[in-house]
Amino acid sequence: MTAGNGDVAGALAIDGVAIEDTFAEAFGMRATRLVITADDRTWARHAAVSATGFATSVIACGCEAGIERDLAPGETPDGRPGVAILIFAMSSKDLQKHLERRTGQCVLTCPGTAAFNGVPPAIAHEWLNLGGALRYFGDGWQISKLIGGRRHWRIPVMDGEFVCEEKAGLVKGIGGGNFLILAADAAAALAAAARAVGAMRKVRNVILPFPGGVVRSGSKVGSKYPALVASTNDAYCPTLVGAVRSALPAGVGAVLEIVIDGLDAPSIASAMRAGIMAACRGGLRAGVIGITAGNYGGKLGPHHFHLRQVLE
Amino acid sequence: MSALRFTLRHSPPSAIDVSGLRPSALAGRTRKEIAAIALQGWNEAWQVGDLFAIRGDDASRIVIDGADDRLIRAGAGLEGGELTIVGVAGDYTGEAMRGGSITVRGDAGDYVGAGMRAGRIEVTGDAGAFAGSGRAGELRGMSGGAIVVRGRVGDRAGDRMRRGLLLVEGAAGDYCAARMLAGTLVVLGRVGIMPGYLMRRGTLLFDEPRTQLPPTFNRNGRHDLLAIRLLLESLSGHGRAFRQFARAGPFGRWLGDLGCDGKGEVLIARE
Repeated sequence: MTAGNGDVAGALAIDGVAIEDTFAEAFGMRATRLVITADDRTWARHAAVSATGFATSVIACGCEAGIERDLAPGETPDGRPGVAILIFAMSSKDLQKHLERRTGQCVLTCPGTAAFNGVPPAIAHEWLNLGGALRYFGDGWQISKLIGGRRHWRIPVMDGEFVCEEKAGLVKGIGGGNFLILAADAAAALAAAARAVGAMRKVRNVILPFPGGVVRSGSKVGSKYPALVASTNDAYCPTLVGAVRSALPAGVGAVLEIVIDGLDAPSIASAMRAGIMAACRGGLRAGVIGITAGNYGGKLGPHHFHLRQVLE
Repeated sequence: MSALRFTLRHSPPSAIDVSGLRPSALAGRTRKEIAAIALQGWNEAWQVGDLFAIRGDDASRIVIDGADDRLIRAGAGLEGGELTIVGVAGDYTGEAMRGGSITVRGDAGDYVGAGMRAGRIEVTGDAGAFAGSGRAGELRGMSGGAIVVRGRVGDRAGDRMRRGLLLVEGAAGDYCAARMLAGTLVVLGRVGIMPGYLMRRGTLLFDEPRTQLPPTFNRNGRHDLLAIRLLLESLSGHGRAFRQFARAGPFGRWLGDLGCDGKGEVLIARE
C-alpha cells in the first residue's frame, strides 16, 4: 500500500497538523460478532483476548479480529459480564473456518464461558455454524436446546457445560480503513497513536486489529524477493530518507499507522474521525506534523475514505 | 372492526368438527357465507348458522362463545390469527396448528395441541390427557410452539413430544413425557407416576421435590446450569408462576430413561 497521493500544500489543518488531501482505500470483507460471557469479566476477557490473538492481518493470519467492547451484564444474553469481538475474513468459507477454530480453541477451553451470536438477525447476510460445528466435541453427549427461538448447544466439559449458540450471523463488512500519523519522532508518533486508539475504541462496530491498535510496519505491494507479496513501505521509513524516493515531509522522524476494520462504512468513518482528531490534539507542540492515508490509487478497493470528507 | 364471534345456540347431539372456524378459512367471507359453511359431525353435517349466532367481522380474531366439549378440533391446523374459546374446548383443540394463538377460557379436552408445530395455546383451566402428544399411532407429538395450561393436565402429557414447550402450572397426571423425543416440559404442581418413562432426550423441570422417577433414571447431582437458567428466563413471559420459577435452582438432576438412550434430563427444584 502506498500513502500520500494527495496534496499536502494548502491542506486542511487541525491544531496546525496538515491533513493530506488523500483517502484510505478499503476492501469488502466478511465479518461476524461473537459475544463471549463468563462468570466475571476477567475470564470473559481471557477468552476474548485469546480468541482475537494472532489476527492482525489476513495476509498471514487468515483473519483479522479484535475486541469491540466490554458488555455490561444487562447487555448479554445470559446476564453475565461479556465481551464483544469482531472477526473479519476475505470469504464466508474462511470466516467459518476461523470462527470455528477460534471459538473451539479459545472460548470452549476457557472456564465458565459461553458464546453467543452478536449479529442482529435483521442485518445478517448469511449464517455461520457456531455451536452447530463445535457440538461434536461433546462426543454424542451434547444437548440441543431451543431457547427463546434460538438453538443453543450444551457441550459437557469438565467444569459443567459450554453453552454455545448454534449460528452466528455474517455481515458484509469492510477491512483496511486506515490513516497514518507523521510525527517528529517515535515518541511523539506513539503518544499520538495511543490518543487516537483511546478515542477510536469508543466507536462501536469497529476493531483495530494490530497490537495495541497500532501498526509500525506499513507495507507496500510486492517486493524485490519474488516470494513476498508485500514488503516494507520504504517511502515512509525515516531511515531510508535519502536512499529511496521518500514521501516524508521535512521534519518527520517517525510514522505510525492505524488500521480499522468495521461492520459498515459510517462506523469506520466515525472511528477515523475520532482517531485523527485525538491524534492531532496538541498539534505541532506535541510533535505531530501530518496525517495521511494509505491507498492503491483507488483501483483495487471499492471503499474510499477521503480524509477531508471524514473530518467534515 | 370487532372480533368475529360465534355464540353456541344449543349443544349439538354429538361431536362436531369446528376446525373450519379459523381465520384463514373465513377471511374475506360475508357473515351469510360463513353461516352456510358445513361443519361435519359424527354422522351428520351442521351449518354454522344453525349452531351459532354470528356477530362481528374481523376474521383474524375469532371467538367461540359458550363452547362445550362437543365442539372438537377447534383451531386445528390454525396458521395465524387469534382464536378464543370461552367455555369448554373439546378434544383435539389446536391439533396440528402451525401458527397464531389459541386461548381457552375454561377447560380443554384430550389431545390439546396434538402434533402442533408452532404457535401458542393457553388453557386457563385444566386440560385432559395427551396434551402436546400425537394422535394414537403417530410417531411424534408436538414439534414446536408452546402450550401453557394454568390448571392440571391429565395423563400422558407430552407423549412422544418432539420439540417445543409444554408448561403446566398445576399438577400432571401419570406418565407425563413418556416416550419423549425432545423438547421441554415444566410442571409446577405434583407429578403422577412414571414421568419421563422411555424418554430419549428432552428436559423435564419439576417444582415438586417429592417427584418419584422411574427406576431407570440415574442421579446426576445438584447443578445450577447456565442453559437451564437461560431456559427458565425465557419462560418468564408465560406468566407470574413461571417468572417465579425462573428463580428456582440449583436443581437435582437425573438422567434417563436409561432403558432408552438415557440422554434426557429431569431437573427437580429444592431436591
